[in-house]
Amino acid sequence: MSQTDLQAGDGADLRFSFDGRTYEGRKGETLAAALLRAGVVTLGAAPGGDTKRGAFCWMGWCQECRVWHDGQMVEACRLIVSEGLEAQSRGNGDA
Amino acid sequence: MRSSWDIAVLGAGPAGGAAARIAADDGADVLLLDEQRRPGGQVWRVKSAARHFASDSPETRAGDAHRAALEQSKVTFRGETRLWHIERKKDIWVLHVLTLSGTAIYNARAVILAPGAREFVQPFPGWTVPGVFGLAGVTALIKSQQIPPGRRCVVAGSGPLAIYAAAEILRLGGEIAAIVTPNSRADWLWCLPALLANPFLAKRGAEWIAQLKRAGMPIFWRHLVTRTKGNEVLSALHVSRCTSEWAPTGAATEIPADTLCIGNGLLPNSEIAALAGLELHYDADCGGWIAPVGPHGQTVIPGLYLCGDGAGIRGATVASEQGERAGMAAARWLKGAPASSGSQRRSHRAEWLGLAMTGLSRPRRGLDSLTTPETIVCRCENLTRATLEAEIDAGAASVEALKSATRCGMGPCGGRYCLTSAARLIEMRQGAAPGTVSPPTTRPPLFPLPVAAIGTEFDYDDLPIPAPAPL
Amino acid sequence: MSESYDITVVGGGIMGCATALRLAEGNMRVLVLEKSDLCQGASGVNAGTLSLQIKRVRLMEYALRGHRIWASMGDAVGFRKTGGFTLAFNDREAQLLKERQTLKRQAGAPIEFVTPKKLLQREPEISSKVTIASYCAEDGYANSSLTGQYYRACLKAAGIPYRERAPVSAIAHGSDGFVLTTSLGQVRAKRILLAAGAWLGPLAAMLGVNLPVRARVNTVSVTEPTPPVIGSVIGHATGLLTMKQKPNGTVLIGGGWQGYGTPDAGRGCVSGKTMVPNIALARYAVPALAKARLTRSWTGFEANVPDFYPLAGDLPGVYGAYVLGCVRGGFTIGPYIGKLMGDHILGQEPELPLFDPDRSFEGVPG
Repeated sequence: MSQTDLQAGDGADLRFSFDGRTYEGRKGETLAAALLRAGVVTLGAAPGGDTKRGAFCWMGWCQECRVWHDGQMVEACRLIVSEGLEAQSRGNGDA
Repeated sequence: MRSSWDIAVLGAGPAGGAAARIAADDGADVLLLDEQRRPGGQVWRVKSAARHFASDSPETRAGDAHRAALEQSKVTFRGETRLWHIERKKDIWVLHVLTLSGTAIYNARAVILAPGAREFVQPFPGWTVPGVFGLAGVTALIKSQQIPPGRRCVVAGSGPLAIYAAAEILRLGGEIAAIVTPNSRADWLWCLPALLANPFLAKRGAEWIAQLKRAGMPIFWRHLVTRTKGNEVLSALHVSRCTSEWAPTGAATEIPADTLCIGNGLLPNSEIAALAGLELHYDADCGGWIAPVGPHGQTVIPGLYLCGDGAGIRGATVASEQGERAGMAAARWLKGAPASSGSQRRSHRAEWLGLAMTGLSRPRRGLDSLTTPETIVCRCENLTRATLEAEIDAGAASVEALKSATRCGMGPCGGRYCLTSAARLIEMRQGAAPGTVSPPTTRPPLFPLPVAAIGTEFDYDDLPIPAPAPL
Repeated sequence: MSESYDITVVGGGIMGCATALRLAEGNMRVLVLEKSDLCQGASGVNAGTLSLQIKRVRLMEYALRGHRIWASMGDAVGFRKTGGFTLAFNDREAQLLKERQTLKRQAGAPIEFVTPKKLLQREPEISSKVTIASYCAEDGYANSSLTGQYYRACLKAAGIPYRERAPVSAIAHGSDGFVLTTSLGQVRAKRILLAAGAWLGPLAAMLGVNLPVRARVNTVSVTEPTPPVIGSVIGHATGLLTMKQKPNGTVLIGGGWQGYGTPDAGRGCVSGKTMVPNIALARYAVPALAKARLTRSWTGFEANVPDFYPLAGDLPGVYGAYVLGCVRGGFTIGPYIGKLMGDHILGQEPELPLFDPDRSFEGVPG
């Protein structure tokens, strides 16, 4: 079998930021999982802005965990963390 | 990079992986695509590279065997590849995909769909609060990341998934505050014959239960989570007894928790089948709307096959066998040979168990009353049951009409997490049976497609210049 | 269902509903029959552009009046008068734009030409590669998705019965009118109006009339809610792009790129081959669109006849039968031409002329 594969991780720690705060991540884990380990489950605002949302389906479908990364909206449950990664929660205007 | 194949298999879980392997063994040139980095699907998800040292469960071992068999085959696997559109141009299937390096188009003479399933969660007050997770999603998280989903968890849902997830959370060091299931012990006793016919799975189930018992886990049989508390994050939830039809009844008990994992059975992922041109039919025993298939996974469109949970929820064992049959049938079809072949595995015992487990999980109608008027049904657009029902009362009599008027299902999830409930609201208002109101036309892209990824090779001078519109 | 009406309108789109409302004002007993849901054909799936810059010269008077009606429908149909820019990116397009928009201005559309500098002051996210643009302050959009909800409420308020999911399978014509066979039973009516858009051909054939109706399979796409990128309706000199951003942040992208499929076989299919360059062109015109994600593309059938003018008048050779449809830009003029059609059926002189379906299409290029 031939495949395009990411480099296998070695469990090494790395640091990333979400909404300006720094967190520790492990190579190969997703942003949503890394934040969950850090106790962060609130990832954005619901449309209208009066309530909050976080990861729900963990499969890349429900879009509740979408965050801004590198000028793009991405699913935090699919985005693999990397050293120096920066992500921001969505506001209600861009939910 | 190569772009043309005999067979493209979409989904590398038990069904798709088996289909790809068998078809390749029969000499077909096979491309296997999956959204995940490695084969395995949701049920046999590979552990994240960050967690390779975590201990193995029978599920990870089954997944490793699946991956090893694919490694040894001639199948070409491309992971991190998401299908956003499928078209048939003459006799060639055109697959539009998004990869890590942008969009691409693959062609194939035959396509085997193995899209798997997703979760159904009956909307209830507070199900949108951060810390409330889909149960199947949590099992995916557990398998890949090998971490418990929270500190103090309540696991709620029907069928075996709740038991499995609770046992795994314990194994990973999480705390289980309660297991809440609308099933009764009697529901499970009904399944005992089917379970005993499948000793390995029965043993796995017994191990989970024993593990939970040893840990002194409270199991609330015939109970439901009726609401959550907490605004920014989950702080507690209410649990009530329910009727045999799963309607909540009686006083609620409050349980403090920071995490709720909840699911009400699985829905076949039928979007790709519909986009490929198959008509969907409602089959409650199979989990909902599916495209009908023959015994070899053949559909009404020549060269298009469907297998696994996407053809009806039956679990991994059945999915794998269906995949083998579909893979063989597709490979033979390419050679102009009939699909029949006597030596293929088909475990009626596994099918029996799959049917029993789907039956155990299948939402009963009392669940509808969990969705109060103020409950958000469409998460993306923040639409409540009352809003949707007002529109239904104003005359919106189909999902399409309800969508157009309210935007229900028009958000980024594409209606995957609301339209089943929205259709049910219309059916209830019309006094119609489940499965009467059909899902809307499936449209591409199948997931939110970054504009940045498409048309990167666009050259303005290549714009086709149309004849000017008449003046 | 065996009922009797003064007139049955077959086709519950904008034109059919608008005509039905006018007929009810004239005290006719009207029934609307719709094969799916109200306004789920072209009426409800088009891009909603209300732009005089893409209207035909001879239809400009109709479009101007159409705009006024849409404005009066207001929030109920998501109407916004934003003004609209049509962009040219090279000399050829600039010339095309000047020629065409000058003729439209002479026909009554308040169109002016603006420099790239002025354009960018109003729309800073638009590409600086624009060489010239035309502007029309009257332009804007409505939300086509809301037309079904809107007309359903109007029909109810006017006491006009309608039947959805009631396709007509046969029409018999006798001395006392018409008998229509539908999935919900038979309906009798003294008169009949066919207003079924791309589905007109087979219906007229039930009455022995051959209408040269064809359908374009137009593609529309929409993004998820995105921070503001454009405030006006944006067009392109070639007509290959329309774009607008809704108050909820979604960006709607059209331009008449063709999907495939036929009206008798479902709702049409999106072609990746045409949808991708449509989006690429949108991104070329507004580079900031690159931060958005597309959530959905779909197709709708836009009916036309070889001269691309409406069919609006008596169905040739069938007493008591009328036909309305096939307008390029039908969304804009639909509510208005429906009123004209209603006046005609009521025996009143319409304030602007209709378009005789019995005209010759021979030798018309198209």
